[in-house]
Amino acid sequence: MPRRSRRPRTTLVILVLAAITIITLDARGGLHVVTSGVRSVASDAFAPVRSGVNAVVEPIGSFLAGSVHYGAVREQNQKLQAEIAQLKLEQAAAAQQTQSLKQLSALLNLPYLGNLQTVPAEVTDFGTSDFAATIDIDVGRADGVQLNMPVVGLGGLVGLVVAVSHHTATVRLITDGQSAVGTTYGPAPGSLAVLNGTGSGKPLSADLVPSNTPLTDGEVFSTSGLPGALFPPGIPVATVKASHTGSSASQESVSLQPLADLSHLRYVSVILWGPSA
Amino acid sequence: MTPRDAARLTLVVLGFVVLQQTVMLDLRIGGVHPDIMVLLPIVAGIIGGPSRGATIGFGTGLVADLFLPTPFGLSALVGCLLGFGVGLATVALDRTAWWLAPVAALGGSALYELTYGALGSVLGQPQMLHVALARIVVVVSVTNAVLAWPAMKAMVWGMARSSTEGMPTSDVGVGAAR
Repeated sequence: MPRRSRRPRTTLVILVLAAITIITLDARGGLHVVTSGVRSVASDAFAPVRSGVNAVVEPIGSFLAGSVHYGAVREQNQKLQAEIAQLKLEQAAAAQQTQSLKQLSALLNLPYLGNLQTVPAEVTDFGTSDFAATIDIDVGRADGVQLNMPVVGLGGLVGLVVAVSHHTATVRLITDGQSAVGTTYGPAPGSLAVLNGTGSGKPLSADLVPSNTPLTDGEVFSTSGLPGALFPPGIPVATVKASHTGSSASQESVSLQPLADLSHLRYVSVILWGPSA
Repeated sequence: MTPRDAARLTLVVLGFVVLQQTVMLDLRIGGVHPDIMVLLPIVAGIIGGPSRGATIGFGTGLVADLFLPTPFGLSALVGCLLGFGVGLATVALDRTAWWLAPVAALGGSALYELTYGALGSVLGQPQMLHVALARIVVVVSVTNAVLAWPAMKAMVWGMARSSTEGMPTSDVGVGAAR
């Protein structure tokens, strides 16, 4: 019996050491080129499989999701039925408004981007891990997208490209716990603050805001664009949701709501911009 | 392991990857999606024992890591520990008992998610403990318990000729294991 149990234990020790070595080398950068290369190849190879299988099984997934949320779906259905009648009345007017909206959109076209070049992208997946707030998009190196490029959506900053393959990329959202965005707020030239993510669906928290700073709800924090910053200046990031100062705190505790609707992203724009550009 | 055995196992793992990356990513319960990749080391541990459980847990973990934004190798580390643990915990049990796979999937998945978050936090990703961990544990454990039997069937097929380790496995799932 002891002879039998020694071999599995040796196997386990070897495998654990191998895994720790891989994690360490990847984190220290030694193996990162290899792992990111392999991940990129896997992502590229899998993209057509994923879209092909998705086309077939998406109705099944939707059905399962629908059955899990049956009550909510039924309620939503009733609400939608009532809305259809209303919408039919508005349809004629909407056609005219759509034309106007198109023209306005072309004029507006995310004003804060200025002359920055962008690549439009469709969101293909909302986070492959429950432990990180990321999205996958359908553009990659072939479209000019590179690591650490900023991504924006309607409203404001969405996140940063953290992995890129030929035709896909992964974007770390500003709500992810690892995200930190340098911002300015208040009257020009503006005070500096760092907005940290606290998890998917949760508000951002601000660092470096001195205590008793007069902040109003709805005040906008925009990217600072300091030299070496990861984001170009002037992109709106979030608005103040709540703020208070503890009795002995040296910093104001500020909670902020991202301006982009991160839980319902469909299309985003990758800004072809890097810190050195 | 013959090339044919390797091909069968690869096919099973690939099937799980495709399901995970398509249906499971779309199926969100309380904002959390199921993780059927965790089932692989669990059923491999039950079928093949600690050594095979650890080896397959390591391999399938590395494959899962290819599609995750979390540290590369973390799923492999937790996967081999889980495969080994399940193999060890079930070695003295009747592996044909109908309740074994669902119970192992329930407990094993919960342990996996907790260990994954804790180890990720230790390895410089503190935000991995600042997620809805309880919700992740519940969703992943319960869905894996429900899917444990089909996963067991698939893995019995995938490991049919390669699971030895001192115990007959040709009768796993249909007859006595000891």
